[in-house]
Amino acid sequence: MKFNFKLIILLVVISGMALSCKKYLDVTPDNVATIDYAFRNRNEAENYLFTCYSTIQNMGPSNNDAAFTTSGEIYFPNTLTEATLGSRDAEQGFHLIRGVQTTDNPSLNYWDGEQLGQPIFKAIRRCNIFLENIDRPKDLPQFERNRWIAEVKFLKAYYHFYLLRMYGPIPLIKQNLPIDAGTDEVRVKRAPVDEAFAYIVSLLDEATPDLPRTIQDPARSLGRITQNIALSVKAEVLTTQASPFFNGNPDYISFKDKDGLNLFPAAFSAEKWNKAMLACQAAVKSCEESNLSLYRFTSPGNLPTIPPALKTVMDIRQSITENWEKNPEVIWALNPEFGLQSMAMPRLTNAMVQNMGGAPGNFAVPIGMAELFYSKNGVPMAEDAGYDYRGRYAVAAVPAESKYYLKSGYQTIKMHMDREPRFYADLSFDGSCFFGNGQTDPENMLYVQARGGTSLAGPKDNIRVNVSGYWPSKLVNYQSVFGTEVTQTGFRMPLIRLAGLYLLYAETLNEVNGPSADVYTYIDKVRTRAGLKGVKESWASYSTNPGKASSKDGLRAIIQQERRIELCFEGRIGWDLRRWKVMQDVLSKPLQGWNIQDTTPEGYYRQRNLVIPVFGLKDYLWPLKYNDLIVNPNLVQNPYW
Amino acid sequence: MPYLGSLWILLSVFAACLLLLSNPTYAQQGATIKITGTVKDSLGLGIPGVSLQAKGQSTMGTVTDGDGKFSLNATAKSIIVVSSVGFRQVTFVADPLKLRVDLILHSDDNNLSEVVVTAFGKKERREAMVGSVTSITPSKLKIPSSNLTNAMAGQIAGVVAYQRSGQPGLDNSTFFIRGVTTFGYKQDPLILVDNVELTPTDLARLQVDDIASFSILKDASATALYGARGANGVILVTTKEGVDGNAKVNVRFENSISQSTQNLEIADPITFMKMYNEALTTRNPLAVPRYSQNDIYNREQTLSGAPGSNKYVYPAVNWIDELFKTSTNNQRLNGSVSGGGKIARYYIGTSYNRDNGILKVSPVNNFNNNVKLENYQLRSNVNINVTPTTEVVLRLSGTFDEYNGPITDDGSFSADLYKKALHTSPVLFPAFYPADPSLGIDTHILFGNSSTEGTGNTVGFSNPYADMMKGYKSFSRSRMSAQLELNQDLNFLTKGLTFKGLFNTNRYSYFDLTRQYSPFFYNIASYDRVSNQYSLNWINNQPGQASEYLSFEPGFKDINTFVYMQGVVDYSRQLGSKHNISGTVIATRQQRLYANAIDPATGLSSLQYSLPYRNVGLSGRLGYGYDNRYFAEFNFGYNGSERFAEKNRFGFFPTIGGSWVISNEKFWNGGLKEAVNKLKLRASYGLVGNDAIGAQRFFYLSNVNLNGGNPAYFGQTNGVTRPGVSITNYANDAVTWETSRQTNIGLEISLFKSLNIIAEVYKQHRYNILMERASIPTSMGLESGVSANLGTADSRGIDFSADYSKTFRGGFWMSGRMNFTFSQNKYGQYEQPAYKEPWRILSGQKIGVRWGYIAERLFVDDQEAAASPTQLFGAGASAPKGGDIKYTDVNNDGKITEADQVFIGLPSTPEIVYGAGLSMGFKKIDLSLFFQGVGRTSFFIDPSQVSPFLENRQVLQPFADSHWTEENQDLYAKYPRLGTTSSEISNNLQTSSWWMRDGAFIRLKSVEIGYTFPDKLSKKAFLSNCRIYFNALNPLTWSRFKDWDPELASNGFSYPIQKVYNIGINVNL
Repeated sequence: MKFNFKLIILLVVISGMALSCKKYLDVTPDNVATIDYAFRNRNEAENYLFTCYSTIQNMGPSNNDAAFTTSGEIYFPNTLTEATLGSRDAEQGFHLIRGVQTTDNPSLNYWDGEQLGQPIFKAIRRCNIFLENIDRPKDLPQFERNRWIAEVKFLKAYYHFYLLRMYGPIPLIKQNLPIDAGTDEVRVKRAPVDEAFAYIVSLLDEATPDLPRTIQDPARSLGRITQNIALSVKAEVLTTQASPFFNGNPDYISFKDKDGLNLFPAAFSAEKWNKAMLACQAAVKSCEESNLSLYRFTSPGNLPTIPPALKTVMDIRQSITENWEKNPEVIWALNPEFGLQSMAMPRLTNAMVQNMGGAPGNFAVPIGMAELFYSKNGVPMAEDAGYDYRGRYAVAAVPAESKYYLKSGYQTIKMHMDREPRFYADLSFDGSCFFGNGQTDPENMLYVQARGGTSLAGPKDNIRVNVSGYWPSKLVNYQSVFGTEVTQTGFRMPLIRLAGLYLLYAETLNEVNGPSADVYTYIDKVRTRAGLKGVKESWASYSTNPGKASSKDGLRAIIQQERRIELCFEGRIGWDLRRWKVMQDVLSKPLQGWNIQDTTPEGYYRQRNLVIPVFGLKDYLWPLKYNDLIVNPNLVQNPYW
Repeated sequence: MPYLGSLWILLSVFAACLLLLSNPTYAQQGATIKITGTVKDSLGLGIPGVSLQAKGQSTMGTVTDGDGKFSLNATAKSIIVVSSVGFRQVTFVADPLKLRVDLILHSDDNNLSEVVVTAFGKKERREAMVGSVTSITPSKLKIPSSNLTNAMAGQIAGVVAYQRSGQPGLDNSTFFIRGVTTFGYKQDPLILVDNVELTPTDLARLQVDDIASFSILKDASATALYGARGANGVILVTTKEGVDGNAKVNVRFENSISQSTQNLEIADPITFMKMYNEALTTRNPLAVPRYSQNDIYNREQTLSGAPGSNKYVYPAVNWIDELFKTSTNNQRLNGSVSGGGKIARYYIGTSYNRDNGILKVSPVNNFNNNVKLENYQLRSNVNINVTPTTEVVLRLSGTFDEYNGPITDDGSFSADLYKKALHTSPVLFPAFYPADPSLGIDTHILFGNSSTEGTGNTVGFSNPYADMMKGYKSFSRSRMSAQLELNQDLNFLTKGLTFKGLFNTNRYSYFDLTRQYSPFFYNIASYDRVSNQYSLNWINNQPGQASEYLSFEPGFKDINTFVYMQGVVDYSRQLGSKHNISGTVIATRQQRLYANAIDPATGLSSLQYSLPYRNVGLSGRLGYGYDNRYFAEFNFGYNGSERFAEKNRFGFFPTIGGSWVISNEKFWNGGLKEAVNKLKLRASYGLVGNDAIGAQRFFYLSNVNLNGGNPAYFGQTNGVTRPGVSITNYANDAVTWETSRQTNIGLEISLFKSLNIIAEVYKQHRYNILMERASIPTSMGLESGVSANLGTADSRGIDFSADYSKTFRGGFWMSGRMNFTFSQNKYGQYEQPAYKEPWRILSGQKIGVRWGYIAERLFVDDQEAAASPTQLFGAGASAPKGGDIKYTDVNNDGKITEADQVFIGLPSTPEIVYGAGLSMGFKKIDLSLFFQGVGRTSFFIDPSQVSPFLENRQVLQPFADSHWTEENQDLYAKYPRLGTTSSEISNNLQTSSWWMRDGAFIRLKSVEIGYTFPDKLSKKAFLSNCRIYFNALNPLTWSRFKDWDPELASNGFSYPIQKVYNIGINVNL
């Protein structure tokens, strides 16, 4: 028995080893971070609030913004021998105008968060997680909790709105589905657009009362959502809903989901314009009560006296590039700075030639866009009775009185002369003066020489080249210096600024009441800052069509052109052209540029087709990725895709 | 501290064993005669540890000493069986008239050799085995390379292996047992060296001279004891131990010359310029040619060295020649001492390997930055008989790598230099300018460069020569391992009982660093043709851009530790004359810790990854054999892994197997037995698991980063910021193992005592493969995929091996062997969106098959291209023209989209791997040849990696010879219409059958000829044996693919596979 006893001891010991296994495998401590910890206290919850903001902060106007890249305002060539935006993929938004969008792998895919698109559904899920859990931190004061809830509701509304503008009908993610939700549950359907608009507006309405009207502590909180922002976004949302694309659009009335539900409203509703007008009115009122106003340039002490012509140019330029805390016009901007100044900058100096990578200047504004700007009389060139429209491509020497706009005596075309100040403020081109880049003496401004490869700004290679001859220098801060080294002074591109809101209000007023004093008042506020006379006066005095401003249709055209000029290159017009349903018209003509390789004025100022845009009816809305339709059979593809 | 607790338990087991010792007895019987002699192998080397056993008299036996000498007491007329692992067994009759017996044993791989090392190092009689285990004589893996994994292809039935790079230190072969049997996370086998789990790199560094046994466990029965880790097969290696006898010294020195098996052929600079111009104008007729007639003429002058030509002003550079030598020299030195007595035995092995790269090193630098990988190893295995029934084994080993090489942008060390050389224009700038006194500087090299196309002082290109010369990167890697083993004979408890306890720990450390200067770049400022004088312009002249002094950059550091414990109780006993029973119980636990704790999903360290990685297991085996004819075995593994939720932590993996040795039946006799000496049938069936199913650490926990991932900023200067919260995983407590259900049937035949055949067929069904759900729409807004054990895969295949060995009269012997592996693996269930197109469904397709378009031919002309279904790939793409690839519109919808992609070709992992070798010898000369090949595999040339002119790429000669041009509209040319940007040729950059190539090849893998000096000569030099040999690795390759070495497959621009010519000497004292 002795032996067996030893044997048993041995086996007990060995199996003891095996039995302690269970504990051995418990390696995870109790407090491994899980999502519960995100709402344990105020600090953690604030971090989660920032998480909700995170996505929107990547959605500013830039190369990943559909309105910025596809509006036809800026052309980006697809023939550069090197990728200047960081990678070839970063250019894809600009190429969409060539008709290369696919359903296989859509560019700027905000639905899935692919191809430069931000993952908006993820952002919405975060907002919902926040709203579900924000009652948990015990040390969070109620007023602050209310404000945070209001901010997140706003964000949730805006994320839905962003998708709605791009995709039309969208699934509304009012609540999060659990991770282990069944297949049927996760296969959500697209809600009709009016239901989506209503949901977005209801969220905004819920949010508005608990938001501060303006930011009280700009040093810490600038960029957080305010009442003014919420009201202005509501104005945009309702105006979008009232606009022709979403309001009784005949091309989309047969757009149904799989249950036969109409996703677009069949009939036009004038009431929608009325609601939009009231929303605009409320937003304007609130902003004005908060002392927001159109921006005027105040020359810093270190600058010499600025002559009036140049002051107007600076009023216009700085209305978007001024520091936002000093700019009373900004209603809403995102915190990240605009990152593509170097793309909008012409080469002005030898130092810049030495450092060509510093400012590639690839953003090329097509000639058609340059022609959109008014004459100095504040009416379209073609309508200006006193403007030699037919002779606009003739070459002439710049007269001395234009010296704050153009290099005196320089040979350029007449089209570049006698234009409105915004033309000179927003564009750089062969012969135009540039205030800034380290040279702030008004009498001795740098100017653009862009004819042929031997000129400073001309095409040195097939990489750092502007293929049209127009740079959108509106997007360059005058304090930025490009040389052998680059010192950029950043700015935040406004998402909504007062000038835009005024024009929106004017637009809705005109739609509701037709031409009226109110309409003119709000357009003229913008025109006055741009150094132009009022609408009525300008058309009456200078236009070949003096009655245009007195008819509802004529005034609509005027407002639209005014808006396209005032807000150009800011990533807003792309959305406007879509909701006005005029994008197909605007993009029906080839985008052209000058013959940039030629050194003589006569040879240079010959038009060259850059691209013939491909924009069909289907392109008003983004396609859903084909794969998404297969994963979720309840989704329907957008029409014509 | 459960960990310390278990250590204590193990120690107490040791103590218990020592306490339980009882008196040993050595039975001695009267000896009739005493026979002495030696046992040698076919190369004349004494074989230590050969067992000589009188048949039926268990006490009459001995083993040979370190020199192969023995002295045996035996009864006259008794039959002595001489056997050793890896050698064919022989017998002789103890003859009182012949007291001196010298024997030669022939090596015996893949056959019915008597003892095989199986799971947990247990030695089993081959005859009694029911599982599928291949063991190979380690010396067969001896190739003139310091990477053991490169010897495996074609040598071992059931192993699929291929090598994708020839770069020293990064040239491991990829290998699988029975193919890629899962599409899950871990597909490669478990590697165990002396029972301890190690990495493929550790296996690669092992010295063949230190290996005692090398086994591959292939089926469920053989791997079941590893339970949750064995599903992909197991490679089991044990290292040598000392044997009784005088100190035996073995020294081997090899020097080899290594060169690329095949070099890429690059078009000359003139062709490059002409083709560039063609590429420009063929896409845009108005384009200005980049190179004028003058440019071309001047380069021609440079190339021909015409008087007045200037190779600095008009460079025409062959970058490959500029950077690389054609061959290099490598050395390997290996030595071991072993011996011992009754109390202790020792084996000490040391080795030093040095692999050099093929970079040209300029004397201008005072540091040598050619690739150099030095590897040192020390290994000491000491066995001590503490008491007659207790043996303690101490194994200490250290492996140390020191690497030095040029700086590279990526982690590939020197491979990207090869790539850079192929991505630099041959005509833009020279590698460097000669020292120029006019600059007043002679302390740095005047490297050539240029700004991008135009003027201006920006460095536009990478100068590969400068990249090579500017500094060096080095790494140090070491693994130290200490292992203590206790073997206790427990016969005193009950007969046939033994205990074996093992403790191992090893420590791994790695760091790398770079030291470099910033090169000075110059271009030509002016050139005077008449005087042939030029002046230089310093391009990167801004402060901080160029420096002559070295800067230092610390690199990646990696440390990890490993602890392993194992206890085995084994029982084996013959009951009566016919019944043989055996049982084994094994308990193991292991832990691994990583210092960096990097979460692969985010690249950042995280708490979850810092927690210990643990496995525990209890496994067992029950065997029964009847009369050496029928064998049955039951195995199980009961294993736990910390990664799963508590309810899914432990898995039970049972297997059963049986075998029937038909040739031991009574009816198998006479002539039949003479012809068919052995015939055995075996089969096994069971489950094995795989717990390495994903990179996620704990499947049952969500992985949330509360401190990063989604930041936001506020305030006028963005001064208020918070990092945000991100979720990398959602909790899922249902996730569990991947399991493999395996069936294996084997047949072993031995014919005419010289031909051995093993043939096996197998089937595997892999289920519970973790895969990401494809049915969750984006609108859920999940931040990471949700995975579930959904996938299945099915495999089947054949392993076949045969070997033949015969000694003829007059000292001539020969042996041949061949083996063949076929494995086919298919997706079973695979969750995909419900595609309408049946050709997109993955189920039923082979694992590793690519998805792509069907290329019909090139478009005839622009009209045809315009009239065909739309082929637009991505934004920025241009529509195809004549000479671009035409794809089939499979679903006939008028446009080429993803829905037109089908599965094309064969898997990237070969379905067939085979090898065949022949060895022969006559007296002192021996010769062997080994061929190896793969079949049924495809690879795809990556067009974005080979297309000329993209990223300044040079032109491959095959494309220069055959491409579509407007003059020669060859619709089946090797390369379609040229272009200079990826948007112009995006149509041709798609994965399609156009770029598919047959990956099959056969190569003469090795050839060796050796000469052993006669004993007389050796003795004079006080050597017991001395052999010199010459061998070659990869000298010849045959393949349908000619452009580069086919084994590199799609990696044509990587460091080429090397062929090696080697001379070696092996000396025994």
